Amino acid sequence: MSPGVQGVDWLAIGPVLGPAVAALLALAVDAVVGARRTRLVDAIAVAGLLVGLVLLVPQGGASTFCSAPGRCSYVVSSLTLSLQAVVLAAALVCLLLAVGLRDRLPRTELHLLVLIATAGACALAAARDYATLAVALETASLPLVALVALRRDGRGAEAGLKLLMTSVVSFGLLALGIAMVYASTGSLYLGQPVATALGDLRAAHGVGLALVVAGAAFKLSLVPFHLWTPDTYAGAPLPVAAFLSTVSKVAGLSAVVLVLAVGAPERAGDWAAPVGVLAAVTMTVGNLVALRQRTAVRLLAWSTVAQAGWVVLPLAGAVTASRVTSAVSASVGYLLAYVVATLAAFAVVVRVAESHPDGARHPLTAYSGLWRRRPALALVLGFALLCLAGLPPGVMGVVAKIVAIAPVVGVNAYGLVAVAVLNVVLGVAVYLRWAAALVAPGEASSTTGTTPVAHRMALALSAGGCVALSVLPQLVAGVLARVPLR
Amino acid sequence: MSLLLLLLIAVPLGAALALLLLPRAVGEHLAPSVGVAASALTLGVALLTLAARPWSTGTPVLELDAPWIPAIGARLHLVLDGVSTPLVLLTAGLGLAVTLLTAREAPSGGSVRSLVVCLLVVEGGALATFTASDLLLFFVAFEVVLVPMWAVIRWWGDAHEPGVRHDAAARFVLYTALGSAVMLAGLLLVTLRAGSSDIVALTAAHGAGMGRTTQVVAAVLLVGGLAVKVPIWPLHTWLAPAHTAAPTVGSVLLAGVLLKMGTYGLVRVVVPVVPEGFAAVAPTLAVLGVVGILWGGLACLVERDLKRLVAFSSVAHMGFVALGIASGTPQGLQGALFANVAHGVITGLLFVVAGGLKDRFASARLADIGGGLRDRSPRLGGLLALGCVAGLGLPGLAGFWGEILAVYGSWRDGVFWKTLAVLAVVGTALAAAYLLRVLRAVWHGESDQPVGRDATGVELAVTLPLVALTVVLGLVPWLLLRLTEPTVQHLLGLGRGAV
Repeated sequence: MSPGVQGVDWLAIGPVLGPAVAALLALAVDAVVGARRTRLVDAIAVAGLLVGLVLLVPQGGASTFCSAPGRCSYVVSSLTLSLQAVVLAAALVCLLLAVGLRDRLPRTELHLLVLIATAGACALAAARDYATLAVALETASLPLVALVALRRDGRGAEAGLKLLMTSVVSFGLLALGIAMVYASTGSLYLGQPVATALGDLRAAHGVGLALVVAGAAFKLSLVPFHLWTPDTYAGAPLPVAAFLSTVSKVAGLSAVVLVLAVGAPERAGDWAAPVGVLAAVTMTVGNLVALRQRTAVRLLAWSTVAQAGWVVLPLAGAVTASRVTSAVSASVGYLLAYVVATLAAFAVVVRVAESHPDGARHPLTAYSGLWRRRPALALVLGFALLCLAGLPPGVMGVVAKIVAIAPVVGVNAYGLVAVAVLNVVLGVAVYLRWAAALVAPGEASSTTGTTPVAHRMALALSAGGCVALSVLPQLVAGVLARVPLR
Repeated sequence: MSLLLLLLIAVPLGAALALLLLPRAVGEHLAPSVGVAASALTLGVALLTLAARPWSTGTPVLELDAPWIPAIGARLHLVLDGVSTPLVLLTAGLGLAVTLLTAREAPSGGSVRSLVVCLLVVEGGALATFTASDLLLFFVAFEVVLVPMWAVIRWWGDAHEPGVRHDAAARFVLYTALGSAVMLAGLLLVTLRAGSSDIVALTAAHGAGMGRTTQVVAAVLLVGGLAVKVPIWPLHTWLAPAHTAAPTVGSVLLAGVLLKMGTYGLVRVVVPVVPEGFAAVAPTLAVLGVVGILWGGLACLVERDLKRLVAFSSVAHMGFVALGIASGTPQGLQGALFANVAHGVITGLLFVVAGGLKDRFASARLADIGGGLRDRSPRLGGLLALGCVAGLGLPGLAGFWGEILAVYGSWRDGVFWKTLAVLAVVGTALAAAYLLRVLRAVWHGESDQPVGRDATGVELAVTLPLVALTVVLGLVPWLLLRLTEPTVQHLLGLGRGAV
């Protein structure tokens, strides 16, 4: 691609096109054949995500949509690729969970919305200017409002409304922040050096960054931007809650990392400490509230809040520009471990909800005796919970915790280290409480029917991911190592 | 030869995984024999490592090194030297003892298979801890024992009071998780500042490359974290409930293996790695150790429950170990390592007897057991008597040498250390008082309590080797002292010299 020419590198944007084209195809098939051919639509959706995953393999370091050398809107870096891989794989598992549900969700709508949100999250990972970032983040978020309300009952509507309000507010903050950043730097591109040109506008630039991060913090459920999380999770269909806690979180972290680490590494000394405070408050509040939860889905909701704190914790160690790369690598590594373990936990929760009279709102006591009734499910959930708690044999989680704490220890931020240590213990209490229920003597309640193929695949993929990352923890620790971010 | 190190860990963990994946009926049926076979095989492997002559040099005699997580520089690096060998042997021996006990008389509370899996995982994790030569691998191995031990206390503990054992299990896991998280911060600090997580290299560097402040902070974090596991007063409050609620096999592993991981950590990753920092922390550690000796002794004087009493006596014994390590002298360190092993053997023996009594009388309270045990069940009574006199440090038995050496090692210049040594000796007098109190209450006298079943075959099979070891270590202490001596000199950065 010669510089200055508006050309499109189709291979580079393949991971975005895969799900996007599949969404259009699904719509077309629905229009032509009607909604009865569900198998065909399912296959198209799964194929779209798989194509996206496959197209990650031949990627180099391309950039496209460039207006000048170094001013590109879409850049394929190791950061882009690893985030896109997590998004596509997580979306695949969530889709499989949704497809296998007993009371069917409207199929075409489901696929369309999931695929579009996934495409948005993939585009976000590659976005290197603020306009693309804003559009991609909204593409990744707005379909979720409809997804949450897909069950069309009162709770779903309430949950959808909450998410809609949140999205509107967060987009407002985001847009305002972008405007302030643009006004102070004069450039929408993220990869431009900022520090020298600022002068008097330094404060405005800082406020702008803070507003953009606040907008993204809603997606990540960082405290105090988390209030929508528990009700929305509880009202949404479980696979959609899984999507919110995985793909949406990746999108949120992508935005934060792009704005801070790619957009303003020169100001790392200014943003590291506030991010550290956010992380500390988030993990503590999340874990403390999770300790009191009685239903599985609400516990998972608060657990995702706590884990979001862990995900951004390493960024607090980026007090100088030279430490930014390793901090981001740690963040993404932790995110990877978190997503895989959370998907495995959700997969089991979906299965238990299918056979429980209270459905998605089943209490933790529903897990009593699961080890006796369904040993495979109990093993998967137990392993996932140990991964989230960071206890062996969940080596993946242990390594993720090591990786997340290391940057903070490295800069002698002992106050933050103390909070993190406290939260390790709180997390152990949260997850072992649930794990203990698995083995507790419980009613030998009936086990309903066979597990649908889609759910078997989702369980196998997520559990396999947990085991693979525990055997090869290098994948967690070294997800971005040695590659420059810009 | 180095593959022995891999086998040492892979056999118990592999057997546990295999058991877990078997169908339920088959697994339950095979579990006892698989457990015994795996731990016997592990003990065989542990004995084979002696062929590498770990007493001949201060540096590792067996070494296995493979890449693990290059991104953070962690390696699967296992070594065996004179300090790890006695603990490996102790762990493998007690591992066989607990699986034998489980195979013959499994405690109620759940499936035998799950219990055997837990016991094997604890054994494998402890063996990995005692051979790990990478700070991060050490941490992961250290954490492996947490969940299975929690499960053992929670489900197979005291059948009479589920609430109590749930609390005890939760307290155990939360305290020790806190300790390990603090330790992790220290390990990461050392790794980041020294630029390496390899314990062999860090020991050779002897603190070079780390400033004094870094060393002190790292030492505080490491000692603070490990002190929970040892346990060192005032972080010992999880120990008594855990021991009381745990089934016999859990108590034996807790006292004989898990506590040793704490002291081993002090010797392996604090003393040689951050020597300057440890020197700054050592006086505090010594004081806390002596407080533990006196506190444990006083608590034992009034304690009415035999299992709690043995647990508190553990706090006192581990106080001697802490004092010896803190002294920083070769004699003190040697004494600490000796006392460490002796405590594992003697307390293991006492917990088998105390657990057996609790099974027979449905209570471990001295009053409920009643007097005259020497007449009612002479074999159990005899074992208890031997454990008690060994515990009070009678010369000629294993308990004597470690504690006398630890006190001798801490007899350094200055009023401070001399005072501590004197107070520690007062602690041995307390030990004599409380253990003789136990003998008077249970062994002597008469009682109208029913005659309990005397020691069973499996109890004898488990305790007699421990008795033999107590006597052998008491009569020929140099067997163990010679084994640890070169390594202790190496860890302290001294040339080879006589003890």
